[in-house]
Amino acid sequence: MGLNDLLARSAVARASVLVVEVPGWSRARCAVEAGMRRRGWRPALSPADADALVVVGEAAERWRAAVDLVWEQLPGPRARATVTAAVDAAATLDGLHAELADDTRQRRDAAARSTEPAMGTQAGVNAQAQDGDRGEDSDPDMDPGDMHPGDMDMPMPGGIPLAGGAEDRDGLQMDVLHVPLGPVLPAWPAGLVLRCTVSGDVVTQAEAEVLPAAGPAPLGEGLIHGSPPERLDRAARLLLLAGWGDAAVAAARLRDELLDAPDSTAGVRALDRLIRRVGRSRSLRWSIAGRGHASGADAYAQLLEALRGARAAPARSSTPPALTPLDRLPELVAGRQLSSVRLLVAAAELDTATLVRAGTVHP
Amino acid sequence: MTEPTVTQVSAAWAPFAAAVLLGVAAAGAMLDRALAARTDGRPWQSGLTTPWGETARLLRQRRRTTLVADVPLWRIGGAGLLVVAMLMVVVIPLGRWTIDDLPVGIAWFNAMDVIVWAVVWLAGWGANSAHSLMAGYRFLAQALAYELPLMFALTAPTVGAGSLRVGDVVAAQHGLWFVVWMPVAFLVYCAAVVAFSVWGPFAAASGVPEAGGVLAELSGIDRWLVLAGRWALLTAGAAFGTTLFLGGGAGPLLPGWLWVPVKTTALLAAFIVLRRRTPTVRPERFIEIAWLVVLPLVLLQVLVVSIVVVGRS
Repeated sequence: MGLNDLLARSAVARASVLVVEVPGWSRARCAVEAGMRRRGWRPALSPADADALVVVGEAAERWRAAVDLVWEQLPGPRARATVTAAVDAAATLDGLHAELADDTRQRRDAAARSTEPAMGTQAGVNAQAQDGDRGEDSDPDMDPGDMHPGDMDMPMPGGIPLAGGAEDRDGLQMDVLHVPLGPVLPAWPAGLVLRCTVSGDVVTQAEAEVLPAAGPAPLGEGLIHGSPPERLDRAARLLLLAGWGDAAVAAARLRDELLDAPDSTAGVRALDRLIRRVGRSRSLRWSIAGRGHASGADAYAQLLEALRGARAAPARSSTPPALTPLDRLPELVAGRQLSSVRLLVAAAELDTATLVRAGTVHP
Repeated sequence: MTEPTVTQVSAAWAPFAAAVLLGVAAAGAMLDRALAARTDGRPWQSGLTTPWGETARLLRQRRRTTLVADVPLWRIGGAGLLVVAMLMVVVIPLGRWTIDDLPVGIAWFNAMDVIVWAVVWLAGWGANSAHSLMAGYRFLAQALAYELPLMFALTAPTVGAGSLRVGDVVAAQHGLWFVVWMPVAFLVYCAAVVAFSVWGPFAAASGVPEAGGVLAELSGIDRWLVLAGRWALLTAGAAFGTTLFLGGGAGPLLPGWLWVPVKTTALLAAFIVLRRRTPTVRPERFIEIAWLVVLPLVLLQVLVVSIVVVGRS
């Protein structure tokens, strides 16, 4: 009993949480992240990595299939919670801690689950007319490739046909996969679903959509587009995707400080230090700067602009930056490698909360 | 006190060697997490226990599989990193003793790091998951970039000592450590060690844009094996680097078998501190620089070493 207890306590002290953000609740998500950082918890990279699933915001019915699929993919011990207000974040994390440490409850949960992997939903581009939703993109059973009804003698391991081939941009025969990105993906705009057709690992076509919230978010639960905390949030996301964890955490902490105390001079000085640090890094520029692309697609330039935008607007800015419309995304993304697509989408000026409010969730 | 020769001990000492490897690797992980805790705003002491907490979490976590996963190859890929690190340590002398002083010790080390190509790709392939597979291929692209520079960087101490035997390389550094007159080879070797450990700036195969990459579908003990394997590879590479370039067990005051872990820890700490300042290197950018800039530089270095050796004899 003593050893189990010790194991459980050290394990839960180091839990990892998969945060699902519904458009409009970005400030609540920031509160959850700050709470996690204070406890020594970390954000999970994928469902297999996660101990706890936190849905931030009130999600519409279409989210249910996605979130349930992700919940099924969490290995045990696991816990689940919903946060609808920034002030509830700390209490919810406490509740998760208690649930994860409760051995008896976790054993009962584990006994109630099946041991066979679940078949996901189909990921083909034609299949989006069905109800239900694509879940986490790293689900293996979501790559049926091209389905040819006439090929009855094609080998189908596990009931899924093998990936078909097609010529890619260089004329090579590459496997065609359908990889839906989002809605549950770290460092990804809230609620965005990008259904990509990938040949090899280069995206050939894509379709974008935003999953709506159940209702309008209360004022104050979202970050205002163009405000310094939102600019810092964007910068933190770009830095995380670039792989510079230290700078990303520094930007995230600054964002939380600015949210708590908008006019602090210490915050402004720390922001200046961060801008200098990021600007000085030649390896960052070499790593993520675009080459000969139209303006707006260069992740490095966008990162610097986001940081300077946070610095130049200590009060509320007059005009927020122009938003990228959703139908621009597929053309931005076509012909790029999948990891570059992540960077591009983070660099594009997308505010899914505004799109949801305006009702323009389909291109 | 430096020793002129390296004596072989029986293979029964192998578990001890593995324990030393894992001990230094654990120390490295603790330092890394302590620095991360300080960035987070928590006291650095709380970071020291994080690797143990992570181990406890992964031991407590259930294992996981995906639909039609290639389980044998997947598990080989997962466990392979740790096994390769242990095999690398076989030729590294701890002061005066080594488990096997192969006549081709440097080539053995090189062969082990080539096996990492297969291991990481298998870990990506076995999961039957799009992100995992793509990350495996991205690692191969990165491996194509660093492997030739690494091979030539290993050639420099070989030429300097006139032998592929690790004991001879240690003996040849009596007067002057190789790092002093082969700095380019040393730097390239260090970068290649970080790259084949899939760690730090070269962790594109397991990063955020890849949704976890080869780690995306792993949980429980399988995940722990890959994470521990990465640290073990990094430590084994650092230990081999101190043997080839930093004189091995040579040094004042302390005995040889203590100097090796001390120097290895110092090199590991340098890796960990520098990692905090660098973003992830993307394989497509890396290939250009590796083949067009780094490879000619290393070849130049080998030329310089050869001229010095010929001039000396």
